[in-house]
Amino acid sequence: MKVGISNLEETPLLKLDGDIDHSNCGTLEKALEEVIDPQTQAVLLDLESVDYIDSGGLSVILATLRQLRGRGWLGAIAPNGNVTRLLEIVGLLVDPHFRVFADRDEAKAYLAKAAG
Amino acid sequence: MIASAAHREFEKVFRARADTSELAAIRRFVEQIALEVALDVERIFDLKVAVSEACANALEHAGCESGWLEVCARCEGHRLTFIITDRGLFKPPSAERRECPNRGMGLPLMVALMDEVSFARTPGGGTQVSLSVFLDKDATLSL
Repeated sequence: MKVGISNLEETPLLKLDGDIDHSNCGTLEKALEEVIDPQTQAVLLDLESVDYIDSGGLSVILATLRQLRGRGWLGAIAPNGNVTRLLEIVGLLVDPHFRVFADRDEAKAYLAKAAG
Repeated sequence: MIASAAHREFEKVFRARADTSELAAIRRFVEQIALEVALDVERIFDLKVAVSEACANALEHAGCESGWLEVCARCEGHRLTFIITDRGLFKPPSAERRECPNRGMGLPLMVALMDEVSFARTPGGGTQVSLSVFLDKDATLSL
């Protein structure tokens, strides 16, 4: 799995590419540690190029959400149908601090609106 | 209702080094088997996740002292089963594990994604996890 770090409307954006499993979820964890500071209110994960995720990756997403819960939210961009089913099974889709966006444009529009 | 003909019966074993870097190869094995019995993409994904979780548990908890992990795929009648057997001893959660409350999702995922999950203690003291999907589900249910 490759991780590309950038920003979307000043919000950290991690573009993930490849399978996320128990062998490489530490890479995602480290990348998130790198972009999140005590002031970070939101983080975006672009999952468009992620075909597979297991509990290794889901654990990292849940831990990040817990970290942001008091002050903001975590967003997933373009998860495929199978990944979305797993996000649902672990309860992320009903978490008020978790957002799913169809694409980057939708995420960008949401951020612009939130910025007011 | 007449049940459809059973699938061809077979058993195949995949042997991998006991290391998480082998999980991708194990998933390719699962996909190849699932394609042989013409499962759809969702069921293939479910099996890849469930088998991967069982293997990750075996690697983490049981240590796989032999240095190898074996995944057996068995197709019998209307059922495809993956059997993951480890020979190591179960290790209780470590302090590090308790500090990470989101761990331990593997078992709930296996149960949510599979039609049947079972665990057994092997005579050697290891653990065997069996993960099954029912093939031709409608036909199976009508039996």
